[in-house]
Amino acid sequence: MIADIANYISTHSAQLATQITAHIGISLFALIVATAIGVPCGYLASKSSRSEVIVTAPFEMLRVVPSLAFLIILIPIMGTGILPAVTALTILAIPPVLLNTSVGFRSIPDFMVESARGIGMTERELLYKVRIPGALPMMLAGIRTALVEVIASTTLAAKIGGGGLGEIIFTGLGLNRTDLLVLGGLLVAALSLLSGVIFDAVTRKLLRYKYV
Amino acid sequence: MKKAIRQMLALTLTAATTLGLAGCGGSSAPAAETKSVVVGSKDFTENEIIAEIYALALEDAGFKVDRKMNIAGSVVHTSITSNEIDIYPEYTGTGLITILGMDAMTDQDEVYRTVKDAYNEQFDITWLDYAEANDGQGLFISKKASDEYGITNISQLQANADKLRFCSQGEFDEREDGIPGLTKLYGEFNWKSSRIYDNGLKWEVIENDEADCAPAYTTEARLTETDKFVLLEDDKGMWPPYNLAPIVRNEVLKQYPEIEEILNSVSATLDTETVTQLNAKVDIEGEEYEDVAAEYFESIKD
Repeated sequence: MIADIANYISTHSAQLATQITAHIGISLFALIVATAIGVPCGYLASKSSRSEVIVTAPFEMLRVVPSLAFLIILIPIMGTGILPAVTALTILAIPPVLLNTSVGFRSIPDFMVESARGIGMTERELLYKVRIPGALPMMLAGIRTALVEVIASTTLAAKIGGGGLGEIIFTGLGLNRTDLLVLGGLLVAALSLLSGVIFDAVTRKLLRYKYV
Repeated sequence: MKKAIRQMLALTLTAATTLGLAGCGGSSAPAAETKSVVVGSKDFTENEIIAEIYALALEDAGFKVDRKMNIAGSVVHTSITSNEIDIYPEYTGTGLITILGMDAMTDQDEVYRTVKDAYNEQFDITWLDYAEANDGQGLFISKKASDEYGITNISQLQANADKLRFCSQGEFDEREDGIPGLTKLYGEFNWKSSRIYDNGLKWEVIENDEADCAPAYTTEARLTETDKFVLLEDDKGMWPPYNLAPIVRNEVLKQYPEIEEILNSVSATLDTETVTQLNAKVDIEGEEYEDVAAEYFESIKD
């Protein structure tokens, strides 16, 4: 089987390269959109328990629909290709980002906020100098969870012509070829692990103060 | 839902009958006066319709027909060799490649003669006349691309591949009787782009102009929409023929030799277009396969 995999890699290297690039591209795109939506919404949700329900509920409800079903539902609206794939993955990725951000903002101790006010910080300064730095570790943890989930689920994009490593896996399923299934699975796993490691490195850099 | 219930019923019935037969020690000799046969089918629309037409034709000739439809494709051969069914519609190419494990050939008569001889010898089963209907592998393109570049066969497709977007379910790109085989016979296909989609989506993808060409089976229901899709002629004979034919156990055929003539006259009316249309009535218009078969049998009766 290892020989089969090596043979496939050598004859399909160009194709593999585009599949890996597409996989990373779709995943990152979805993650960035999810962060752009999830972080502000998470901040809003942290304001009060009522706003939490209003903001969280719709995303939680959408998240319950399996990503595969979502992809197919989106076809009449968005057609096929990368766009519906990114949309479905974004919906998958928003809840962990949103919930962690919300918890992050809530976990800032009252005394910190009060001391900040006490030394005369404006609300704006309070947000940028106290709240956001305080919530950042949780926020990043949420994004990391979403990242790993999204990379694994991007496999489904191949069902609707979005490309990515799912192409190898679905071809392997159709042909009942274990070598392709193993290769596709390993590559997705490797991407997931690698991106986790890179993300951790970035986190360490951002949160330097925690590690000195 | 209705279909699921029917399938479950069919399964339960099959299981029950099998158990019943086993219980009797398989000694259920047919009664002398009533002529009775068991017609089976595989588990997809087309095969069920054709089997039902066989059953109706036999009933019309005074047979009592026991139906065992919807048997999984992988076990239907075992069902007939273990005498659980007497007749079912099979495809010449399936017999040749899947059952007998022989190499592909492309001449219909040659394939038919080969399977007929081998089945008679190995399984004591007779292949009656084959119908013109061919449910084989094929490629189709959008009507728009066909008109624009004047493509009606695969040679022309190969020549224009650089202007066309291909889509497949993935396995076609790797399978020996897919792109690799086509490349050997027709030359390199330099598609403008090649993408992978779920097999069920190919019609939508092409209809929405997101691709131009895709693989399909030659009797798939939506190929009846000739204003949207054009099935390409396999002008160099890449794929083996998958002609439909009834196969009958020799024991049964010896007992009731008239079966041959009854079923041959049915097969004579079935060409690819007719079968595709029958499929479309069930798969697109949502009719029941029994009704479609009955209607068709009425139309060919005399």
